[in-house]
Amino acid sequence: MSNEMNFKPVKELTYTEAVSELETILQMMQGDKCDIDRLTDYTRRATELLTECRSRLTTTDEQLRSILSQLEK
Amino acid sequence: MNEQSLTLLQLNQRIASLMTVPETQNVWITAELSDVSARGGHCYMELLQKHPDTGATLAKARGVIWANVYSRIATEFLAATGQRFASGLKVMVRASATMHPVYGMSLVISAINPEYTMGDLLRRRREILERLQKEGVLELNRQLEWVEVPLRIAIVSARGAAGYGDFINQLYNNSSRLNFKTHLFEAVMQGERTPTTIIAALNEIALQQDEWDCVVIIRGGGATSDLVAFEDYELALNVAQFPLPIIIGIGHERDITVLDYVANMRVKTPTAAAEWLINRGNDALEYLRSMGNAILQKVSDRIAGSKEQLSYYEALLPTAPLTAVERENARLRSNMMSLAQIGARRISPELARLDHTMKSIASATDVVLRRRGDRLNSLQDMLNALSPEATLRRGYSITRVGGKAITDASQIPSGTEIETTLANGTILSVKK
Repeated sequence: MSNEMNFKPVKELTYTEAVSELETILQMMQGDKCDIDRLTDYTRRATELLTECRSRLTTTDEQLRSILSQLEK
Repeated sequence: MNEQSLTLLQLNQRIASLMTVPETQNVWITAELSDVSARGGHCYMELLQKHPDTGATLAKARGVIWANVYSRIATEFLAATGQRFASGLKVMVRASATMHPVYGMSLVISAINPEYTMGDLLRRRREILERLQKEGVLELNRQLEWVEVPLRIAIVSARGAAGYGDFINQLYNNSSRLNFKTHLFEAVMQGERTPTTIIAALNEIALQQDEWDCVVIIRGGGATSDLVAFEDYELALNVAQFPLPIIIGIGHERDITVLDYVANMRVKTPTAAAEWLINRGNDALEYLRSMGNAILQKVSDRIAGSKEQLSYYEALLPTAPLTAVERENARLRSNMMSLAQIGARRISPELARLDHTMKSIASATDVVLRRRGDRLNSLQDMLNALSPEATLRRGYSITRVGGKAITDASQIPSGTEIETTLANGTILSVKK
């Protein structure tokens, strides 16, 4: 879809950029300016951003275990 | 050489007895502590007086606090100042000069005035803060902006220090599994080497500044906490000017040092430092959750709204053609009415003209008729003059039998009833 070409890949965004893009999408949806044809694109984009932000903040079990095991050495 | 001589012991005893006079006993003195050490319950130290500007030693004496006194003094001192009895402190003590034949002069301390130390610490801290203020750096670290979620933490502490372990355990055992990254930059966290080793650690972090979101300087409030080591101008200057926000978590609630005034953030304990960082992460996660929910809500609202709109149109669909026909009819009717009006406007003058024409025709006819009538009248007059009535009036009469006019008397038998009509009246007679 050509619409998605406008979105920068989430991996290239800083956390702050990702969060502010989320806020923009939310504002647009609240303002009822959102074209229903693009609703899917925006929702997909928002989900992508949310997932990326969350994954940057949180860690997996394996990572956690390896960090704590270093501590015990 | 017959001169009398003394043994060294005799001299030392003489010195001791000369020294042990009321003027040297139980005297309150002020001095700075150095080389403080506890052995066998007793506390040994050097008492110094330094030149206030050059720092050169002006006077020096050995000091000792015997175990029975020390346990009481140490507790009292800690309670009042929050400080251990340690090197670097300025103290006011009650001392008695003693002379030991082998060990020489010592000052035996029997009491301490903690307020003096407190006052000195506060004064020293105030001097450092005023100097930083004057140099315009006091607020620098406190004014630094935090990144949205600080996750990359440079730690300045001593490996194996209780506070460091507490911090790491707290940080990595957070229920949200926040993805913290940490590295320990080692420093000595007590004693004279404290400022220089912390400054060295900070310099190392500054070289890789982009790798870190903040610095935590932590130390457990252990038994050997001599916080006076942190009351250092150079250290405070480095903390104040550090390019990343610094969290200070040294010891316990009451342990305040000059660093607590210049660092971006002060927490009571290393555990509290970890808590604070975890809370920031949790806030960020919570914000993401709320945005996710809001977006979900908006999307479902939007879809529901669109569906509603569609079903409205759907309901409208069957009646729409009828309505359209109805509307067309109304339009036609209104057009017709306009047409009629337009017609009326055009026709009425025509009608009026017709009317007028008809009247003209009528009056023309009248004239003709009247003229004809006049002729008829004169003909009537002529006719009248020739009519039977006029003849009768001139004396003629009409004889009828059985209603029929008789012109031949021979055809009428005698005895026949004859009716004679005159101009006025009728005569009935019988033929003879």
